[in-house]
Amino acid sequence: MALGAAFITASSFVYFNHDELPPFVIEKLPLRFEALWLVSLRVHVVAAIVAFPACILLMTRALQRRARLHRWIGRITGAVVLFALVPSGVVLSFEAKGGPFVSAGFLLSGALVAWFMVKGVLAARRRELGAHRRAMLHVFAQMSVAVTSRALLFGLDAAGMSPDVAYVVALWCPVLGSAAMAELLAGSFKRMVQIHGLKMATFLRARSVARPIVRVGR
Amino acid sequence: MLGLLLVPSFASAADSLPAAVQRRVEDALLKPLVAKEKERSRFSRARLPPRERRVRVTQTTTTRDASDREYVAFAVDVRFGDQWEDNDIVGCAYPQTGALFVKLGDEYRPADVLLGKSGDPAPGVCAPAKPRS
Repeated sequence: MALGAAFITASSFVYFNHDELPPFVIEKLPLRFEALWLVSLRVHVVAAIVAFPACILLMTRALQRRARLHRWIGRITGAVVLFALVPSGVVLSFEAKGGPFVSAGFLLSGALVAWFMVKGVLAARRRELGAHRRAMLHVFAQMSVAVTSRALLFGLDAAGMSPDVAYVVALWCPVLGSAAMAELLAGSFKRMVQIHGLKMATFLRARSVARPIVRVGR
Repeated sequence: MLGLLLVPSFASAADSLPAAVQRRVEDALLKPLVAKEKERSRFSRARLPPRERRVRVTQTTTTRDASDREYVAFAVDVRFGDQWEDNDIVGCAYPQTGALFVKLGDEYRPADVLLGKSGDPAPGVCAPAKPRS
């Protein structure tokens, strides 16, 4: 995930080259509110460059042991996410290629980030660390969509899928999959699996992958 | 943009008009586009480059626009998997000047915009002159 974040950061510098339009902007032309959209894009990119690596850091055991530092980095990250990343993402989502269905995917992801960030902050203030961890797992899961979605786009292109279809698949699968994964890691997915009677073997297999990650998250 | 505009008439006597337009679009637009795509990061939400592009000149004769300049319409098809997708780029070429324009939304802009240069919409290009009543 850290490697993915680094790749995204490296490929984002093109958005600050004022002499050249990046391909992501060109394919959106003509934009209804071009100036607002461009500002939102740059705010979103800068906010993501700060917030995503910070989230990765906050999930590490090393930083969780240093409560004071964890709290301060968490506060800054929470402010960046709630007041820059999510609002700019909302503006960008309305011009997403693929139409309303894709816009809805981005809006859902943004709503999950904002909702769980607020829940997580409130839980931390109440010293409810279990609830805080669950909420922040959801925030991190949705932020990880930036990486998984791009990786999936790359894979689906290699498989020869039409880019329009691939864009929808590579958005919705990671958004829903990440939310499910966060629940799984938070423990409540276990009950859901038992209720719906899915094969235990599948669950155990997922748990064997998830367990080490949960341990890191503690 | 300037590079595209300062090229003298590209339709030589040896070439048929569609062949000349096709070559012009390939040389001035598609080859630089491919070169540009090789430089860019693939870890982006921008559409990944197609595996192949082909130019179709959709007119055999020129049309005159409102400024009485002659143009020829073209389209670029792309292939991602096995299927070709038509009209990925739609535009027109002005044989006298070599200028290329592409359609983005409802408006035409200089083709250089696809290469990352800023280009404002060019009103009146690639549209036939209204018949005089």
